[in-house]
Amino acid sequence: MSLKIKNLSVSLGEKQILKDISLEIKPGTIHAIMGPNGSGKSTLAQALMGNPNYKIQNPKSKIQINNKNIINYGPDERAREGLFLAFQNPTAIPGVSVANLLKTAYQLVKSKNKESRHKVGIRDAVNAHSSQTASGHNPALSVWQFNEMLVEKAKKLGIPQEFLRRSLNEAFSGGEKKKLEMLQALVLEPKYAIFDEIDTGLDVDALKIVAKAIDELKKTGCGVVVITHYQRILKFAKPDFVHILVKGKIVASDGGKLAQTVEKSGYKKWSEN
Amino acid sequence: MTQFAQPITSGYQYGFHKPENYAFKAKKGLSQKTIEEISWHKNEPDWMTKFRLDALKIFYTKQMPAWGGDLTKIDFNNIYYYIKPIGKKAKSWEELPKDIKDTYDRIGIPEAEKKFLGGVSAQYESEVVYKSIQNTLSKKGVIFLDMDSGLREYPDLVKEYFGKLIPPADNKFAALNSAAWSGGSFIYVPKGVHVELPLQAYFRINAANMGQFERTLIIADEGSFVSYLEGCTAPIYTTDSLHAAVVEIFVKKGARVRYTTIQNWSTNVYNLVTKRMRVDKEGIGEWVDGNIGSKLTMKYPSVYLMGKGARGEVLSVAYAGANQHQDAGGKAIHFAPYTSSKITSKSISARGGRTSYRGLIQVFPHATAAKTKVVCDALLIDDASRSDTYPTMDIRHSDVQVEHEATVSKIGDEQLFYLLSRGLKKADAEAMIVNGFIEPIVKELPLEYAVELNRLIQLEMEGSVG
Repeated sequence: MSLKIKNLSVSLGEKQILKDISLEIKPGTIHAIMGPNGSGKSTLAQALMGNPNYKIQNPKSKIQINNKNIINYGPDERAREGLFLAFQNPTAIPGVSVANLLKTAYQLVKSKNKESRHKVGIRDAVNAHSSQTASGHNPALSVWQFNEMLVEKAKKLGIPQEFLRRSLNEAFSGGEKKKLEMLQALVLEPKYAIFDEIDTGLDVDALKIVAKAIDELKKTGCGVVVITHYQRILKFAKPDFVHILVKGKIVASDGGKLAQTVEKSGYKKWSEN
Repeated sequence: MTQFAQPITSGYQYGFHKPENYAFKAKKGLSQKTIEEISWHKNEPDWMTKFRLDALKIFYTKQMPAWGGDLTKIDFNNIYYYIKPIGKKAKSWEELPKDIKDTYDRIGIPEAEKKFLGGVSAQYESEVVYKSIQNTLSKKGVIFLDMDSGLREYPDLVKEYFGKLIPPADNKFAALNSAAWSGGSFIYVPKGVHVELPLQAYFRINAANMGQFERTLIIADEGSFVSYLEGCTAPIYTTDSLHAAVVEIFVKKGARVRYTTIQNWSTNVYNLVTKRMRVDKEGIGEWVDGNIGSKLTMKYPSVYLMGKGARGEVLSVAYAGANQHQDAGGKAIHFAPYTSSKITSKSISARGGRTSYRGLIQVFPHATAAKTKVVCDALLIDDASRSDTYPTMDIRHSDVQVEHEATVSKIGDEQLFYLLSRGLKKADAEAMIVNGFIEPIVKELPLEYAVELNRLIQLEMEGSVG
């Protein structure tokens, strides 16, 4: 049981960005990936989630979730296998609320093993007005229960309830967007979650809340990858492993203390090689 | 409803009768004789016969519009101009095209409704519903009839307003409708009366309403309120290729009318409709117009703001799929001071479909302190699809506040990837983006319409993904 990345080489356009990355993330552990700007951190996140703009270079490249190779899976299939990505810059989707998205996504991700039914989908109005419809798709939770769970998790993150009905990532501050990404992770309960610079744009209080949530995910057995420039989030969400990514390669891997080394002396030591 | 008991000339039947009773069927093609026959069969007053014949002359002299969509394929001689709507519909469920039946199944429309929508059944149960609504309305003095009955029962009222807002000479298709009209709704709401329930053509189910050349006239007297709904989101199958309706609405001082249409004709239909509202002092006129079906739609609901402080609003949403062209929009004409108008248009083009926004804002010199706002947004699903904007503004003085916003966007790869990464399949993700795009208009629709529209978008997206 683990998320295994084997010999992952990735290019964007003509340019090769990741070179032969191998990592193993076990359930219930936190891996931090640190590195200077342009080292390929976000590329790693996007490639893991299956962004079609990023091309896999090496035919030997593998991404395995619990021994199943998902390297040829589309992003939606990866999500249904239990992978989650919190975006660095989540895009705005006018007219689509986080509540609406999560209602649909929850049904799909959670009922993964059952062949998803034809009409599962975009029917906020129906779902909101007829618990029968939605509970038909997801016997585990009624619409009412789902909403209650959503509101409770939002509250934990300090997200006002009205935000749940507003258009996704539209007219939200940077910090609010990051919290909404975190909320999605908490609701969808992925097996493995990647947080791409979730700490940027957060004030100290928000940072603590988000780090606490990451820690909570870890405790429920989620394997976590935290991509960051700074050590400060790692003070609250203590990593079991730290990997240094420079020019598309992992140049060092060690325990949590490595982050402190970076904090003190930067990446020079690895960049010069 | 006295007309149900009256013996009626020839085979023409009003109301709820069995299809096999419809004996009369006119020959194909348009001529003075055809029009005279229509009027004679309906036992109309002389002024209406003359109105029709004059309109026919105008129709002959008017040029086809050279703008908008491609109208060259319409063959006026290959159309039945008078035929009982029931008679021209499919005779049995089995005769309906498979794609139409499948869509009904997938939307989940109950069996009885399916048959009615497919034109198979006269749906006798709805007669009961209609009559109970009629009882409630008539207590308040509200008239809600099909246009033919309206003319028979209230000839003077009809004569005072009919063709006054959209004269036959307005355009070629208004002239055609004026000559050949049948069916449609006639509504009168007395002073100060608020009709709480939306009136639905759906309830007034005698299929005359779904005719080719329906004619609707609504008069909302001072301080009254009425909301009218027509159409439905399920595809309406018809063998006719031309639908040319005229809708005239009079909104008197302080009154408010909202007229909602969801059009989903089968994709062989030319849908060419003239809709106009005249809004008097401090009145409010609103059009909510959804176009999903048809081969070509040309429709620009308009508000004529005649009285001080009158307000008009047009909300238009259009979807054009393969081989479809939706040329839609709205017009607001300001004749008086302190009038305000807003036109919001949202269009979606997919699978090579084409949408056009066409709008007109006119502000006349004495319409001081007028305000107008136009927002038109177009969404393209793929590279094969097309969207154009043709806004016209004619502002005759400077004391006016004008806003215009227009955007054209494609479903972004980023948006799509974001939703996919949450586990949504491509069709679901696209449908979610599209439904989000039209949400500002859909939320104005009655819930059942909104739900069906969202589901239809979902089906269309599944189709486009293959």
